[in-house]
Amino acid sequence: MSDKQGYMKALKCRECGREYPLTATHVCEFDFGPLEVAYDYERIRKSLSREAICSRPQTMWRYHELLPVAGEPTVGRQVGYTPLVKADRLAKRLGIRELRVKNDAVNYPTLSFKDRVVSVALSRSVELGFKTVACASTGNLANSVAANAAAAGLDAYVFIPSDLEQGKIVNSLVYGANVIGIKGHYDEVNRLCAEIAGKYGWAFVNVNMRPYYAEGSKSMGFEIVEQLGWRIPEHTIIPMASGSLLTKVHKAYQEFIKIGLMGEAKWKMHGAQATGCSPISAAQKAGLDFFKPVKPNTIAKSLAIGTPADGFYALKVMKETGGHSDDVTDDEIREGIRILAEDEGIFAETAGGVTVGVAKKLIASGRIAADSSAVLCITGNGLKTIEAMTGHVGQTRDIRPSLREFEALLAQDKPQLVKG
Amino acid sequence: MAAKKSKSSKFATPSSARLWLMYPPKLIKQPVIWELTHKFDLVTNVRQASVTDEIGIVCLELEGAPAEVEAGIKWLRKLGVNVEPVELGTVES
Repeated sequence: MSDKQGYMKALKCRECGREYPLTATHVCEFDFGPLEVAYDYERIRKSLSREAICSRPQTMWRYHELLPVAGEPTVGRQVGYTPLVKADRLAKRLGIRELRVKNDAVNYPTLSFKDRVVSVALSRSVELGFKTVACASTGNLANSVAANAAAAGLDAYVFIPSDLEQGKIVNSLVYGANVIGIKGHYDEVNRLCAEIAGKYGWAFVNVNMRPYYAEGSKSMGFEIVEQLGWRIPEHTIIPMASGSLLTKVHKAYQEFIKIGLMGEAKWKMHGAQATGCSPISAAQKAGLDFFKPVKPNTIAKSLAIGTPADGFYALKVMKETGGHSDDVTDDEIREGIRILAEDEGIFAETAGGVTVGVAKKLIASGRIAADSSAVLCITGNGLKTIEAMTGHVGQTRDIRPSLREFEALLAQDKPQLVKG
Repeated sequence: MAAKKSKSSKFATPSSARLWLMYPPKLIKQPVIWELTHKFDLVTNVRQASVTDEIGIVCLELEGAPAEVEAGIKWLRKLGVNVEPVELGTVES
């Protein structure tokens, strides 16, 4: 690998194709289109084989040639390779032949898929000489930046809306990050963060480092293919906030074919949103190529982006692959969380409930055929959004430490188990 | 839409903003950018645009004194235009 570029060639505008040096920059100077990392696939093809991958440690970095870090990663070296769980009980409930759950609820170190994107963004930030990293976040991203920056000895600034719940703030403060609450509407917070990123030149992971950051999501797709026995699933169902994860998992499947690790295949990418924030899903269902901004109002806070940066591209991928999108209400989200927990022992955050709920709808409507295989991408841990389920999962029943009282209770529930 | 091109700034301490403006259908016929440059001392430069029956989307560079830029953005929002930085949603979960 070259010292400065690795297997990367340039940053390239997704709109006009103009190329830029591999620095901390994110929009094209001509049309303000987003920049994306372009790779030297011919060189990667010569270096990366199934055997090479299998010989490496079980982390997301086993595919490092296809990730935008020039040298060895310095941040988040243990991230990824989360379980791909065969979910037979949930498959039976939803009425599909084969179902698997890609479980990033147990990703390392902060229990969400954000550790993938953050470890890439921060490793690249170190390569580019940054000492301070930053993000604007209401949850998982803040936790991941704070934790990974702490482990790497980087100074971290985390910007949050000032009215965020205390529990979510503790999850960032504990790592010693500078947490700055911003008073004001979401729109104002949003623009201020873009301005801070421009003025201070810090490595703002989802602003000026976004071309590198977003590529980290591809590792979820690489792992799915490898863990399925080098097979691309017929259907992949992905929760959409900005829409980036859906486009990047799709790109991962394409890249494995492009470098010869897989033969040609067909697959469908499906997107899941909450009804209370469904700009992409609404556009897909209406057959539009663009989304209309919305004001979010949903318990799925991790998907609550009313103006999704990759919404246009997610719509394009769903259209190209023949995929669909749908959205679910707060009650359907809770049901999704509950059935994933009851059937597979996986406690997902609200975005997971959205994914399960939408999968249920797409299977019931026949858009995902009953006789097919699907993968659900679970992106975060339920322990982070306990408030969404509080009061919706039953209650404990208290008894005194008496066998008689216990047996009275058991007799009500399951009388056949009571021994005389 | 009206736009002036700026090659070098005419402002002493310029502030610039790179924005996506998204118009609801009721504003599509209104010359919003022309009005903006007449109400405020601002230079505008359109980089991308798409207008359909459903929505008007304009990618705009705005330059002027910081207070004018702020006031212009406030006026756009009050009018019903959705104003976001070109990065769109920078606040993620």
